Amino acid sequence: MAEQEKTILVVGGGISGLTAAVEAAEAGYNAVIVEKTPFLGGRVARMNKYFPKLCPPTCGLEINFRRIKFNPRIRFYTLAEIERIEGSAGNYNISIQLNPRYVNDRCVGCNACTEACPVEVSNDVNFGLDKRKAAYIPYEHAFPFKYVIDDVACKKSDCAKCVDACKYNAIDLNMKPEVIEINAGAIILATGWKPYDASRMDNLGFGTSPDIITNVMMERLASPNGPTKGKLTRPSDGREVKRVAFVQCAGSRDENHLPFCSAVCCLASLKQATYVREQYPDSKAYMFYIDLRTPGTSFERFLNKVKEDENISLIKGKVAKVYEDVSTKDIIVEYEDILAGQKKKMAVDLCVLATGMAPTVSEVKLPDEVRVNENGFVVPDRDRPGIFAVGCAKNPMDVAQSVQDATGAALKAIQILGRLS
Amino acid sequence: MAEQVIRPDLDFVKGVIAAGGDTLKRCYQCATCSVVCNVTPDNNPFPRKEMVWAQWGLKEKFIGNPDVWLCHQCNDCTAYCPRGAKPGEVLGAIRKQTIAQYSSPKFLVNIVNDRKYLPLLFIIPALILALAANFDIPSGKIVFTNMFPVHTIQIIFIPALAFGVIVGLLGIKKFWQDMKQRYGCPDCTTTNLKNSVIEALKEILPHSKFKNCGVNKDRYTSHLLVFYSFVSLAIATSFGVLYIDILGKHSPFRFGYGTPVKLFGLIGAIGLLIGIILMIKNRYANAPKVGLGSYFDWLLIGIISVIAASGILSWLTRLAGIAILAYPIYFIHLVFVFSLFVYLPFSKLAHLFYRTTAMVFNKYSGRDRAQAEG
Repeated sequence: MAEQEKTILVVGGGISGLTAAVEAAEAGYNAVIVEKTPFLGGRVARMNKYFPKLCPPTCGLEINFRRIKFNPRIRFYTLAEIERIEGSAGNYNISIQLNPRYVNDRCVGCNACTEACPVEVSNDVNFGLDKRKAAYIPYEHAFPFKYVIDDVACKKSDCAKCVDACKYNAIDLNMKPEVIEINAGAIILATGWKPYDASRMDNLGFGTSPDIITNVMMERLASPNGPTKGKLTRPSDGREVKRVAFVQCAGSRDENHLPFCSAVCCLASLKQATYVREQYPDSKAYMFYIDLRTPGTSFERFLNKVKEDENISLIKGKVAKVYEDVSTKDIIVEYEDILAGQKKKMAVDLCVLATGMAPTVSEVKLPDEVRVNENGFVVPDRDRPGIFAVGCAKNPMDVAQSVQDATGAALKAIQILGRLS
Repeated sequence: MAEQVIRPDLDFVKGVIAAGGDTLKRCYQCATCSVVCNVTPDNNPFPRKEMVWAQWGLKEKFIGNPDVWLCHQCNDCTAYCPRGAKPGEVLGAIRKQTIAQYSSPKFLVNIVNDRKYLPLLFIIPALILALAANFDIPSGKIVFTNMFPVHTIQIIFIPALAFGVIVGLLGIKKFWQDMKQRYGCPDCTTTNLKNSVIEALKEILPHSKFKNCGVNKDRYTSHLLVFYSFVSLAIATSFGVLYIDILGKHSPFRFGYGTPVKLFGLIGAIGLLIGIILMIKNRYANAPKVGLGSYFDWLLIGIISVIAASGILSWLTRLAGIAILAYPIYFIHLVFVFSLFVYLPFSKLAHLFYRTTAMVFNKYSGRDRAQAEG
């Protein structure tokens, strides 16, 4: 059997891509994961807890990483990007560009390079909430557990302090990008999503104060492996976060921004309200919504459970102005309390904008025939039976749904391969 | 809560939709509009609640409602609306319904509001003026009184303006009664009407409300310019009436360009033209965010534009001695001035009556203060 008859290419190494690859491999097919960043796990790896069970994301990720590690049918490439895809269902020729990590397999993760590195840059994994070195490990439990040199920030041979510091000869600053070719019979697009750029909403104050943050930043702030080791403090002055406003639909369901519902933000904010309440017993959380969207019995139950806490207030009325009070340094949110018929202002320590999911598939070099809808999500195409989009490449959805979707897509891809042999 | 029976008035909904509020039903009640609005009172915010009232056809909520007139159509709400529901335009359409409701005779309401009668709107005044005009004009120096002697102008225009003003006053009388019935007037004994009028004028004359507009802040300049140009033109005209009718002298406009009366006229005319051009420019500049506005808006903009342009052109062509252009342009000018007067209480210009009255009422009744104190 030729390679392409047994191989599925998975673009994206987040929860959807990992799931699809693992499921296909465990059914006896080869899977190749191409991941742009230096680590697998994508957006999920950067979360503190899942809703509604409130367990940490390592739950699902660790198992998948183990399944990948011990399954020879899965190959994965990090710092890799699709260069070109040619061919059709059953026979795709794919060029993959492997960008240099500058760190080879001898790395033991001793952190000596990070300590030696003099260059500090904004930490993208933590959405700029802290800094990291140009020689770094993306986060504490990153998989693969291999350090990486920031290609842009590193001064390379002008500095090379990390090379001297590494006792294992694991750093090679002369690594060059290389291109590899693979064949596959089917392609799964698990390109995922990115948070909508909150600074595009000029009325919500993002960027005017460090204490106006987005929901993905809140996950990092609450994470034990985040910038504050999980302590909820204000990015500006380190004050404990006792009053938090969650601004729902910050960019979603808005024809000026993302016209669709991002599907997870209501549950994410309810979840994040519990972070605050758990950490500070005298804290208060306020969630401002248009409609609370918690579909299905388990999510409904979660909403009801959160509602039981009288220090969590759910207020109907969208916040449409957010700014810093110059004298008190509080963050002021302005809203209409619809049920009371009053326009009000509230002072809080931290304002969390529940920003939505923007599609990222357009950032990948895909064949022209991959069609996207007016919002940028991939639409199923019967005429291109070899390419399947999964998870948030297709629609905003939560982790559980993405996993189910990816499992289904693995089966679809296997069927394509099966038809050929 | 007490049981409440809702009686939707579907014709009212259709009326709002027809009057430029066609986006009304898109609203999903998120309240972004009330928050971004810089002119709404905090304890009784608009326009979110007005949107749902209008969607449901709760016409009675808009009878004797001064609050829709507090809206100055800055359109910050429309620019930030996540659904393209254009609350600013919808409130404009609701105000139009109010004007229609309080003005009579109703056939004039209909022909002003319906674009299919647009030609009729100006053909009738043109016929009236054509009947009164003297088209047997001697050649030589252009003198407009050759076509319309001063007394002809007086016979036509003074009743036209009087009609407009009287209909407007009758309208605001009914409006006042409805507001009083609806809200009562608990403070009326302590605050006197005169002070309320002065307070309202203190807001209107410097256009202080307009200064709060965000997206459409340029409207402050253009509206101010048009407003004071009209004042200037009214002063010039009053001089004319004073000289000819009261003092029995010849027209003051024969005086040179240095005299105040001539200056008021010229400054008014030029200011009006610049102001209305700025207004049109603003509308186009803001169109991507808020749309171009309704027929009702453009009818008034159109009338004022023609008045300003024809006024200046008739003056220039007269000076240039081009009789073939000067007389027809002057005729057009008079047709549109006549239209402005007669349609005053029916067109968008009626906001002059209703907005002022609503502002005075809110001060007189103490609603303003209650709202400010929240």
